[in-house]
Amino acid sequence: MTSLATAPLRVVLHVENADGAPESLRRRLAELGVRPGALVSVVQRTAGGGRIVDVAGSRIALGRAVLEAVTVAAATAEPCGVAAS
Amino acid sequence: MSAAPTPSCHESGAVATAGPDAAVVALAGTPNVGKSSLFNTVTGARRTVGNWPGTTVEVGRGAWDLGGDPARRVTLVDLPGAYSLDAMSPDEEVTRGVVLAQGEEAPSAVVVVTSAAHLARGLYLVAQLRERTIPVVVALTMLDVAQRRGLDTDAAVLADELGCPVVALDPRRRRGGGQLAAAVQAALVRGPLEPRHTPPTSESEPAGDELALADERFSWIARAVERAQRHAGGARRTFSDRVDRWATAPVVGPLLFLAVMWAVFQVTTVVAAPLQDALDSFFAGPVADGADRLLAWVGLGESPVRGFVVDGLIAGVGMLLTFVPLMALMFLLLAVLEDSGYMARAAVVTDRLMGRLGLPGRAFLPLVVGFGCNVPAIAATRILSQARHRLLTALLVPFTSCTARLTVYVLLATTFFPEHAGSVVFAMYLLSIVLVVLVGLLLRGVLWRALGAEPLVLDLPPYQRPTARLSLAVTWLRLKGFLRTASGIIVATVVIVWFLQSVPAPGAAGTFGAVPVEDSVYAAIARSIAPVLAPAGFGEWQTVSALIVGFIAKEAVISSWAQTYALAEPSSEREPGVLGQQLLETFTASSGGHAGVAVLAFMVFLLAYTPCVATLAAQRREIGLRWTAAGVAMQLAVAYVLAVAVFQVGRLLW
Repeated sequence: MTSLATAPLRVVLHVENADGAPESLRRRLAELGVRPGALVSVVQRTAGGGRIVDVAGSRIALGRAVLEAVTVAAATAEPCGVAAS
Repeated sequence: MSAAPTPSCHESGAVATAGPDAAVVALAGTPNVGKSSLFNTVTGARRTVGNWPGTTVEVGRGAWDLGGDPARRVTLVDLPGAYSLDAMSPDEEVTRGVVLAQGEEAPSAVVVVTSAAHLARGLYLVAQLRERTIPVVVALTMLDVAQRRGLDTDAAVLADELGCPVVALDPRRRRGGGQLAAAVQAALVRGPLEPRHTPPTSESEPAGDELALADERFSWIARAVERAQRHAGGARRTFSDRVDRWATAPVVGPLLFLAVMWAVFQVTTVVAAPLQDALDSFFAGPVADGADRLLAWVGLGESPVRGFVVDGLIAGVGMLLTFVPLMALMFLLLAVLEDSGYMARAAVVTDRLMGRLGLPGRAFLPLVVGFGCNVPAIAATRILSQARHRLLTALLVPFTSCTARLTVYVLLATTFFPEHAGSVVFAMYLLSIVLVVLVGLLLRGVLWRALGAEPLVLDLPPYQRPTARLSLAVTWLRLKGFLRTASGIIVATVVIVWFLQSVPAPGAAGTFGAVPVEDSVYAAIARSIAPVLAPAGFGEWQTVSALIVGFIAKEAVISSWAQTYALAEPSSEREPGVLGQQLLETFTASSGGHAGVAVLAFMVFLLAYTPCVATLAAQRREIGLRWTAAGVAMQLAVAYVLAVAVFQVGRLLW
C-alpha cells in the first residue's frame, strides 16, 4: 500500500481510499472517477511535482498534495495502461 | 433563478428566445463536453466555445425548433459545466438554480450532454436527475474520441440502464441535431419520468447519508457503463500521452510553454506589421484627404469642425483600426491554443508557480486571457471556487499586459529600438509575468497569510486539431466585443480631448477652436501633472496627457498622440512615420538626452498602471468598489516606483 505520489509509473493500481483529502476534494475526485475500488495508473510526472493519472481512459492532472492523499495498492498483474472500469 | 449572475443575457435578447409560453429545456453536463457547441448548432447562436473546461460562466438562452412547427419551439438554456447538483463553485450554483427551479422558470426537460470518452464522469448528474421526475435526455458526444481509445459505446443499452433516451451526436461537425430534437419532443410529450429506485435513507445521520447516497450513485453509474461500453483494443498510449510526455514534463514543459508564448507574440508583431502599415497609410492618405476635400466643398474647410473630423475622429478611429489585424491575430492564436487542448497543459505546467501565490492552477486561465484583454479575464475569475482566490486573481489581472498595451509597445519599440523591437516587446511580457508574481506574493504576504492553495485537480482534454470554423468564430466574437467597447470609449475620448484642446487655457490668447494646442486647457492640465513624472524621465505634457487618456483606454494612447501632434503640425505633414519622429523629440527633451531609457520607463509605467475604465467596471462587478479603488491605488504606486527606478538606474548605465 502506497500513495499515488510514490506509486510506480504505468502500473495498474487499485484505489483504496482518499481519506487524506478534505471532504470537498474527495467528492471532486470521486466525480472524476478516483474513488475506492477504481483502477488507475500513473501516466507520467509533470512539471511542478504533479502527475498525470489515467482513470478509465481519461487523463487527469493531479498536484502533489492530492497525490499524497490518495492511497493505492498494486492491482493484479495486468499489462500497463488503460484501466477498464 | 435568482442565482444566475447575469439576468442581462435574458433581457438583452442577443438571441431570440422562444417566447414566454414556450417550454424551457435546460442544457447541462460536465465542463468541456461541448454544451455550447451543441447550443450554437441547434439555436444558430454564437456562444464562446473552447476546448477548455469552464469556457461558459454565464447562462445563455436561445430558441430551439424541435421540428418545423412554431408550437414546437422551446427555450433552450445553456448552462456552465457542472459535475453534480451539489454546487461547489458559483457556476455550478447557477446550473443547480436553473435545473431545480420551481414555478414558471422550472424546466420541462433537461438535456445532459455527456462525453462517451468520459462516460462515467458525466453520468453523476444523470444519476441525481433520475432521482427526480423531470424528463432527462442524454446527448452523447465525442464518440470518435472514445473510439480512438478503443471504447465502443452502445447508446441503446445505455438508454435501458439509465431509463431515459440517449442520442449520439457530433456537435462539432453538426450531426445528430435532428434526432436529439425528436427525442426531446417525445420526452416533453411523455412528461414526468418514473424516478429510479434508490435505497431508503435514514434521517438520523444526514452527513453519513450523503456519502452513502454518493456511493450508491457511483455504483449505479459503474453498472450502466460496464454494460453499455466495451473496451475493444488493448492498453495503448494515446497520441495525447505522447505529446504530454514532453508538454507537461519537468524542465521541458515550462520551456515549451515559454517558447509557445514567445512564438505567439513574435507572430503577432511580425505578421501584423505590414498590414498595420498599409492601413495606416490608407487612413492618413486617401481617407483624410477625402474628408478634407468634402469639408472644403461644404464650406467647412478651416472651421473647428475640420479639426474635429479629420484630426480627431479620422486620426483617432483610423489609428484604432490599424491595430485590428494585430488584435485579430492574437485572439486567433489564443483560440487555437485553447481549441487544441494545450491551454489545459499550460495550467498544469504553471500550477506550482500559481501555488506559490496561493492560487490554484485554474487561476492561470483568467491570467492568460488577461494577456488578450483584461475585461473578459476579470469575468473569467468566476471559474474559481473560493472568494479569496477570485479577489486575488481579479487584483492581479490588470498586471497582465493586454493587446491594447501591446499596440503602444510596438509603436515605441519600432521607433526607438528598430533593431530589437521584438525582444523589447517580449521583455515587456516577461516583466508583466514578474509583476503578477511579485504583486501576488506581496498581497498574499500582507493580506492573506493563511491563504491555502487549492490543490491541482484538472481534467486534461485530449489534443485535437483545432477546427477553423470554431477558432474563427471565437476570434470574431472577441474582436467584435473589443471593437464595440473600444470604439465607444475611443470616440468619447477623442471628443473630450478635442474639446479640451479647443478651449484656450485661462490667460492664453485665442478663441475656441483657434488656439495652438500648447496653449489649450488640455496642455495646461497635463503640464500641471508633468513635474510629478519628471523623475521618471517623461514629464512632458504630450506624454502625460497620453497617460491621462490611457487611463480611459490604452487604445487611446496612440490616438491621443496622433491628435496632439496632428494639431501641432500643419496637416500636410501628416504621413506614416512622422509620429515616431515627433515622439523621439518629445522623449529626448523630457529625459535630458536619455530618450531610450525614458521610453523604457514609460513602457513600464504603461504596463503597470490601470488598464482601462472597462476593466474597472468589470472589477467593480466582481470584487466591489472598495477593492477596485484599492487596486487602482496599488497599480499607480507600482507603476510610479518602477518607472522612476528604471529611469534613474538606466540613466547612470546608458
